[in-house]
Amino acid sequence: MKCYLCAKEGKSTDAVGVCIICGMGLCMEHAVRDDIAMWEGGYPFPERKMNRTMPRILCPECNAAVKK
Amino acid sequence: MTNLTKRAAAECIGTLFLVYFGAGAAAVTLMIANGAETPNRFNIGIGELGGLGDWLAIGLAFGFAIAAVIYSLGRISGAHINPAVTIALWATKRFPAQDTVAYIVAQLIGASLGSLFFAASAGMDAITIGGLGATAPFPGISYGQAILAEAIGTFILMIVIMGVAVDKKAPAGFAGLVIGLTVAGVIVTLGNISGSSLNPARTFGPYLGDLLLGGSNLWGYFPIYLIGPVIGAVCAAFCYDWISSGE
Repeated sequence: MKCYLCAKEGKSTDAVGVCIICGMGLCMEHAVRDDIAMWEGGYPFPERKMNRTMPRILCPECNAAVKK
Repeated sequence: MTNLTKRAAAECIGTLFLVYFGAGAAAVTLMIANGAETPNRFNIGIGELGGLGDWLAIGLAFGFAIAAVIYSLGRISGAHINPAVTIALWATKRFPAQDTVAYIVAQLIGASLGSLFFAASAGMDAITIGGLGATAPFPGISYGQAILAEAIGTFILMIVIMGVAVDKKAPAGFAGLVIGLTVAGVIVTLGNISGSSLNPARTFGPYLGDLLLGGSNLWGYFPIYLIGPVIGAVCAAFCYDWISSGE
């Protein structure tokens, strides 16, 4: 699979990951890797942030939308 | 996790909400029925307007308040809003002792504030006629029968809490709705027997409000609403752990 964003710029770059939201193939330059905080608990226990996080890869557009 | 002071504040607000709207609904029902001739001594006014529907209305006032508190504050403090639930979670080693004391104090303060705010909102009739929705055994119901009714009602409530919320296999998102409706259902049956408190704080608030504002002194009945709910909740927590072990 090739990087979709590079292809739009007329370049041909191998994708190293896929956006978990839109499925876009992404090269190292365009992939946004983020660590999502994980929480445990909830009624009838207070929620607490866990020590571990969940990694995910997004394209820049989806990442911007999620961060809004 | 949110610090203990903020979690205790959430418990205080949640219990205030429960007592203001739940016990307040019982007081309002008595105020509306005031002056009506009741058909028998078992009917003290709640039931005069719509039979068991009066108790359903009161039960739903409690149920909706509980559901709202669980969905809004459950993430922050756990939304126990009931010392019997907190003690049962502590007894089964799910909740730390230090937090247990702070939660119970916060719940009692919240319940008292709920009653005082209700009295301030509804006026003296809420105290002299409605008794601030305080619970007491109904005519013909003995002290022991009331304790048994409270224990059984709280046992059912705690079994539901264990099954729909504490158990990690429970489906997510239903706890508030199911627990609120459970309390409403229990109140329909036990309301005209023991008052269906199921919660020492829910009785503590109106009792203190009545005492401070010139209403009836009902403290002689308080052990019913302490012993029954605590025994019921603790037994339910251990019982659930036993029946669900080895799954």
